[in-house]
Amino acid sequence: MRIAKKRATPSPCVYFQVHQPYRLIEYDFFCIGDHPGYENDWLNAEMFTKVAEKCYLPATRLLRGLVEESGGRFRFALSMTGTVLEQMEEFGPAVLEAFRGLAATGAVEILGETYHHSLASLYSPAEFRRQVELHREKIRSLFGVEPRVLRNTELIYCNALAEEAERLGYSGVLAESVPWLLRGRSPNYLVRAPNVTTIKTFLRNTGLSDDLAFRFSDRSWKEYPVTPRKFLGWLRRFGGDLVNLFMDFESIGEHQWRDTGIFRFWERFVPLALRQGVRFVTPSEAVEQFEAVHEYDCHAPTSWADQERDLSAWLGNVMQQEAARKLHAIESAVLATEDAGLLRAWSRLQCSDHLYYMSTKGGTDGMVHRYFSPFRSPYHAYIYFMNTLADLQIRLDRGRTSPVAA
Amino acid sequence: MTGVRVLMLGWEFPPLVNGGLGVACYGLAKALAKKVRLQVMVPKVDGLPADDGFSLLGMNRVTPGDLVPAGKHYRYESFAQVEHIPVSLPAYAQAGGGLVERRMARRRKAGEFSRTSDEQLAVFQIDDLYGDDLGLKVLEFSKVVAMLAMQRDFDVVHAHDWMTFLAGVEVKRATHKPFVAHLHSSQYDRVGPEARDWIYELERYGMEEADRVIPVSRYTGRILVEHYGIDVNKLRPVHNGVDPVIRYRSRKKFPEKLVLFLGRLTSQKGPEFFLDIAARVLDRKPNVRFVMAGTGDRFMELIESGAYRGLGGRFHFTGFLGKERVHELLSMADVYCMPSVSEPFGLSALEAAQFGIPAVLSKQSGVSEVLPGALKADFWDTELMARHIVDLLDDGSLRARVAGRSQAGLAAATWAAAAVKVAAVYEELT
Repeated sequence: MRIAKKRATPSPCVYFQVHQPYRLIEYDFFCIGDHPGYENDWLNAEMFTKVAEKCYLPATRLLRGLVEESGGRFRFALSMTGTVLEQMEEFGPAVLEAFRGLAATGAVEILGETYHHSLASLYSPAEFRRQVELHREKIRSLFGVEPRVLRNTELIYCNALAEEAERLGYSGVLAESVPWLLRGRSPNYLVRAPNVTTIKTFLRNTGLSDDLAFRFSDRSWKEYPVTPRKFLGWLRRFGGDLVNLFMDFESIGEHQWRDTGIFRFWERFVPLALRQGVRFVTPSEAVEQFEAVHEYDCHAPTSWADQERDLSAWLGNVMQQEAARKLHAIESAVLATEDAGLLRAWSRLQCSDHLYYMSTKGGTDGMVHRYFSPFRSPYHAYIYFMNTLADLQIRLDRGRTSPVAA
Repeated sequence: MTGVRVLMLGWEFPPLVNGGLGVACYGLAKALAKKVRLQVMVPKVDGLPADDGFSLLGMNRVTPGDLVPAGKHYRYESFAQVEHIPVSLPAYAQAGGGLVERRMARRRKAGEFSRTSDEQLAVFQIDDLYGDDLGLKVLEFSKVVAMLAMQRDFDVVHAHDWMTFLAGVEVKRATHKPFVAHLHSSQYDRVGPEARDWIYELERYGMEEADRVIPVSRYTGRILVEHYGIDVNKLRPVHNGVDPVIRYRSRKKFPEKLVLFLGRLTSQKGPEFFLDIAARVLDRKPNVRFVMAGTGDRFMELIESGAYRGLGGRFHFTGFLGKERVHELLSMADVYCMPSVSEPFGLSALEAAQFGIPAVLSKQSGVSEVLPGALKADFWDTELMARHIVDLLDDGSLRARVAGRSQAGLAAATWAAAAVKVAAVYEELT
């Protein structure tokens, strides 16, 4: 029986996603065949600098302080895409140093993922493996560690992905918990895909994660404001082994600005939880400590995006479907050139954000899509992307290299 | 120069140009000014007067004092009973602009003509020549123009398209001078054969009242007879001219052939047929690119339809392009395609011919009368259109023949030639 008189608080397993895309320029028809620079360098530098000031620098300082003050009892995981790491190297070495400092505390686990924040797992196992390996090398060179738990782009997950992660040697893999698969069960336990032997699956606690990532500053929410004490109470309410609090790193200071009180929340929540005996765990520690208690059978891919929690944020309309299909269709041709410039340009176009901007969804989700998009409309995002792809195809046909914008 | 004095009424006029109407009026006016004494009135004039040989008056520069001498003698004839003016011009409508019904606030007793006030003239202090209050602008234009006309000397009034037809009728009633209605684009073209709305009625009324009607093509003349019931004996078709350009070729930056569509993305221009044509051509010839230049209310659905058909990467949308960009496209295009559902003239096909590009045109167009060498098909026959395009791309001698035959038509398509014909119409009436 799991119903004890006094349940222990489940261990918070916190993971932050760090990512910035390389946004593309408005690549019009007249550029095709003549303009090998696809990315909006100015905008990317500006966005990175802005997010660094609002989030990356102050939030790493905050988290490092919390780790150090707690003697490492506050611990969590980070997953950083290859693209954001490149941007740190390019636009903000101080940011990279801040993250390395955080990692060096020993209380921070770094997860594996696709280097280019891509949907490769849906289109090509080979390309997926190439990117995961590329990411592994990047993490090794910058942080000196080997990721042991995998988080696929945007928490895209299904049985086959769990199996693939196991094949690649990971001991854990992250997933969204969706009600149609949980069917009333708690997300606060590790689970196992039906087709694997050892790898354990983490299910994001959707409600509690989004309380901090999205609803935190929503004044129309009846629970507003969330205090550390209130949140700790919610953590305790449902029991279980662990509570997976998975969210964007940018939710501290960028999605939720400083004036929402998000910094103060973390500053107070962590010491309060520790004082009350709460034990934070990182994903690898959780894999060691907790058993997978039930089977979680996920045939169709799920993700953490939008209301639908499926692939519709990136592949919901015909523009997105065509763009993704045509991009991945040239995989073997690109690889065959053994041309580093072409490979890099093609890989960067795989960043799922480009497809995200083409979404024609309305409502709250649509507003989020538009908030992030650098383009006037999803249609313009599609037009410019396809023009870019046309140029890449021409370069491919020419079979010669052109310099890519640095 | 003959002695005929002409009062010309226009709506769009450079630099205030929305479609081809303003370009055509200006081209014709410049050429006519060498033959007749011409004064032009339009809703709005910006900037300094140009020395084009005719006078140009914008209603935005008329003061109430200018109208006083005529006010007492003039009874407003045409729309004295009007209570509601529904306004909708789908081809030009901005996104979100639907049917607007404006109740006439200043309804008068029948026969009592309104004294033109500052407020009425204020409708010409405008940014948009169309817009939700288009109907009101049309009415006020007709009243003000009629009162101005009573104070001027002229022999013929010549009005361009429905926005000015009412003014033409008013001027004719007030001055008993002959009225020439010039039709560049009809509601049949813009909306389709089922159009029987108030704009259609206004077009028909204007042409019935006119002494002569000048359609921009024989194709349009046939529509005026068949769909508007206009007396065929009043029709005097005159093709538009085209201003000369400096023709140049530029190298494409890609190896594929380029097929071009230029025009508003509205049903009249048949953009969805062009998509279908592109899909059929690509089935046979993979090394072709298509450009759809222009914007309009079909923009989004065309993009989605293209994506569904998998044309992305080969079929490029540019949005609206300025003249220089259009010329750049023409300088590298291999075939021009105009699959319009109904095209009274189709100036852009002549511009393509100026750049030496062979054209594939819908039979439902006026310009095909000027370019006898162009390959033609019914707008709905996308299979034949696609075959024409493939033939032109594959067969160099056919290309040369089609482009070559167009040059003869092009040589005749001048505004000077159009002005000769229009002046002859004036001569009939004076």
